Amino acid sequence: MTAATISQDDFLKFQEYFYRKTGIRFEDSKRYFVDKRLLERIGHTESANFREYFARLRFEAGGSELQALVNLMTVNETYFFREEYQFDCLVNSILPDIVARKRDKSPIRIWVLPSSSGEEAYTIAMCLIERWPGITDHDVEIISSDIDTKILAQAKAGLYSARSTMHVPEAYLRKYFTKTAGGFQIDDALRSAVDFTRVNLQDPSDVRPYRNFDIIFCRNLLIYFDDVSRKQAAETFYDALQPGGYILLGHSESMSRISSLFQIRKFADAIVYQRPGVGK
Amino acid sequence: MAFIKKSPEPRNLADDERTGSRDFEGLICKLDDPDSGVRRWAARDLAVHPGASAALLGRLERENEVSVREVILTALVRIADLVAVAGFVSCLRSEDANLRNEAIEAMKSLPVEVAPIMRGLLVDQDADVRIFAINILESLRHPDVEAWLLEVIERDPMVNVCGTAVDLLSEVGSSASHDALERLKARFAAEPYIQFAADLALQRIAPASDGQK
Repeated sequence: MTAATISQDDFLKFQEYFYRKTGIRFEDSKRYFVDKRLLERIGHTESANFREYFARLRFEAGGSELQALVNLMTVNETYFFREEYQFDCLVNSILPDIVARKRDKSPIRIWVLPSSSGEEAYTIAMCLIERWPGITDHDVEIISSDIDTKILAQAKAGLYSARSTMHVPEAYLRKYFTKTAGGFQIDDALRSAVDFTRVNLQDPSDVRPYRNFDIIFCRNLLIYFDDVSRKQAAETFYDALQPGGYILLGHSESMSRISSLFQIRKFADAIVYQRPGVGK
Repeated sequence: MAFIKKSPEPRNLADDERTGSRDFEGLICKLDDPDSGVRRWAARDLAVHPGASAALLGRLERENEVSVREVILTALVRIADLVAVAGFVSCLRSEDANLRNEAIEAMKSLPVEVAPIMRGLLVDQDADVRIFAINILESLRHPDVEAWLLEVIERDPMVNVCGTAVDLLSEVGSSASHDALERLKARFAAEPYIQFAADLALQRIAPASDGQK
């Protein structure tokens, strides 16, 4: 038995299928990346060739092989200012729109999940302080949630490696971090700006209290869910948001492929999704 | 102004629309509430009640609010009992295109439940239902998909039904499809689309990409 290979037709078949299932399209320039991972899974599943593996991928009732492949094909790494254009969109377009529709003095509520080790929530806090003049006039509540209590403890501690902070502007690094033996620690003021909570997005009793948010950041999570769980999550977000509230997904994720509940909003910096309805 | 902390607490529920009876009967009543938010939450909570399919399907037929329809469909997929699956089949025959598409999408998520009725759908008297059944196969995770498609191209008299099946075979077909595709070409020798689609499928299943053993 010789080693399996991936032909151009195989690649096209896989490309079409993977796009339909995940919204991620691998161009020809990614052939090496894709082939390497496909061959790894072909070997791992002891499939004789691509065709046998592809049949397993498509037709396995539980979908566990598709999930294993998704995990392999996506980069699960978080760091400060990841996909920074979305934070630009937040301060340049989303917050001004929310403020313009607000009719009371209630806080602007932002929900971040998965929290992971807190980089995203702290990035939002820094962006609001440094880049959004409205922070002087409005209270903001940032809640960062995760199912993993260990990672939440890590987020609260606010200790980060140099790799995690490499995209933090130098001025912010000096202002909001102190150097430690292993990297950096975020300062107390910023740590106290974020509320970290444990929540299982798939558990209705867990998510029921999460209501009246203006903005939800849920980036690079739904891609790891199966189709039904993804729809259920979209429905949870719909009810967690105020009418007119916004949801931001990862760059390879598309709400339109999951649910028709949200409207697409194209802003100068990013495409985001909005719960229809009047503002408060 | 500043950052503030006020974590969500379960007690916050006391003053929202999810108050009142959350038992089965209470939730069924709330499916007809004038407030779409109440209907949506009722449908969501009914997803854990196996006996709720008939009521959810009934509501789906007359529900106009898209956000409620979506939650009802997800709840039915979660329940996935015989009543829910039979209800989806009825939706395939509806004049309402949205409802048909919703049923197709829902059935794609239910390979185990849909498999026992698939052969029946693929020989349904209504050619549109047969095409919708093939649409379901497009994303159905089941090992018999290719075999079902071969049965269609071997015997279905309608060119549109066979064309839809061949399109899918070009993606999922193996060398086992080769002879059936050749026979299909012979059966519809005067149909240019079948010739084109079958040739494409044959090209894609050619042994070239199979010979890495």
